[in-house]
Amino acid sequence: MAEPMDVTDQLEVHKAKYDNVMVERPVPVEFDLRCLAAFDPNPVDDAALKSQSVDEYIRAWSRGGAQLLINAIFGLETESTEEGFFAKLPEMVSRLPRSKPVPKDAPKTRWEKFAATKGIQKRKKSRKVFDEATGEYKPRFGYKGKDSKMDDWLIPVPDNADPYEDQFQKKREEKRQRVDKNKMQQRRNAEEAWASEKGIDHREARKMQLNKLIVDSKTSTASFGRFDKKLENEGKIKIRREKRKFESTTIPAAAEKDAQMRIAEKIGKPKTKDANINIRKAVHNVRSKKSRTA
Amino acid sequence: MRPLTEEETKVGSIGRNIAHLIDRPDEPYCFRMQKDRVYYVSEAIMKKATSVSRDQMLSLGVCFGKFTKTGKFRLHITALDYLAQFAKYKVWIKPNGEMSYLYGNHVLKAHLGRITEDTPEHQGVIIYTMGDVPLGFGVTAKSTADCRKLDPTAICVFHQTDVGEYLRDEDTLF
Repeated sequence: MAEPMDVTDQLEVHKAKYDNVMVERPVPVEFDLRCLAAFDPNPVDDAALKSQSVDEYIRAWSRGGAQLLINAIFGLETESTEEGFFAKLPEMVSRLPRSKPVPKDAPKTRWEKFAATKGIQKRKKSRKVFDEATGEYKPRFGYKGKDSKMDDWLIPVPDNADPYEDQFQKKREEKRQRVDKNKMQQRRNAEEAWASEKGIDHREARKMQLNKLIVDSKTSTASFGRFDKKLENEGKIKIRREKRKFESTTIPAAAEKDAQMRIAEKIGKPKTKDANINIRKAVHNVRSKKSRTA
Repeated sequence: MRPLTEEETKVGSIGRNIAHLIDRPDEPYCFRMQKDRVYYVSEAIMKKATSVSRDQMLSLGVCFGKFTKTGKFRLHITALDYLAQFAKYKVWIKPNGEMSYLYGNHVLKAHLGRITEDTPEHQGVIIYTMGDVPLGFGVTAKSTADCRKLDPTAICVFHQTDVGEYLRDEDTLF
């Protein structure tokens, strides 16, 4: 049996060899390896910062941090490809603030408000439904939808209906009316959303909008609507706009001359010093000189 | 009849040379607007014309042009004599092109006699006969340098007005 070997010396040598590589910090350093970043929460030595050798201290400190980061990277799982060894970076840990504000909730429509008070919940329905008449699956609504039924070739006249009434025409008109109603409701929802965002009653908002339209239309004529048809209760709407004013026809010639000379001064003036140079002429001069010497 | 507003003076102005028209040594002259037309008139006549009502007055002084409904100013041929005095860019046309131009056609390269050096493209120009008689005004289609390369049938200057309008548009001109 061999005598037990003393390996302390060998361990010392081994440790000295890797002394540079093994950096120790009292508080463990945090890494975000996806960003190749290390965050060191350890306090720096105040005395060293104020001493003469501050540069050396900072260099040594940051070298230690970089060493730790590189150690961590080398500790990662690697994969070998034709181009060489690559470390697999983990997912990002750091949280970055978003550049855009958090999107606001879309304003609730009238139906959504009503459904919320009644506790009506949205149910998922399939997009396509089976149409027994044709034996095909058709969209529930919309283009070529099941309920549109615009392709009916025959519609029975109801018992109590006028026999000369065009049922196809009636159907088209009903559809038209439904579309119009929906459009009106959409517009109303948009208006109410706008008003509630401003914190005013939507009826007040509509009133303001109409008032503005009336004032605009009244002030669009030279006579300020003096000869327009009067609206009901029009006196309540106040119209205040500046009227255009002209100089008297026979203003003294000297005064008029001064005013016009001032304008003439302004219009002909080049905006900058450079604008005064006629570039085209300058280019032409240079070119003609060149061609003469050539 | 009323004086021009500042905006109108800017739009309708013919450049800095408007100063020469207002600042005359002989007699004070002014611009007056009647309906949509701008007239250049001596102050004495303008004062006399105040006794004529707006509806009754047809014309006074020299009509320089009119404001279009879109607010642009359109020069009339009647302003030619004044414009010709201060023109910066000029075009002279050959005698064989004079009649064609006076019937309202554009100026072709073949009819181009002379042109002011370094005239830019789309520049308003006054058109003269070779004997320096002003005939009208137009807008250049090409700059002076580009005009040299054109073929003889190409258009050099777009027609705007010519003195032939005194006969053609006698009713609406003044």
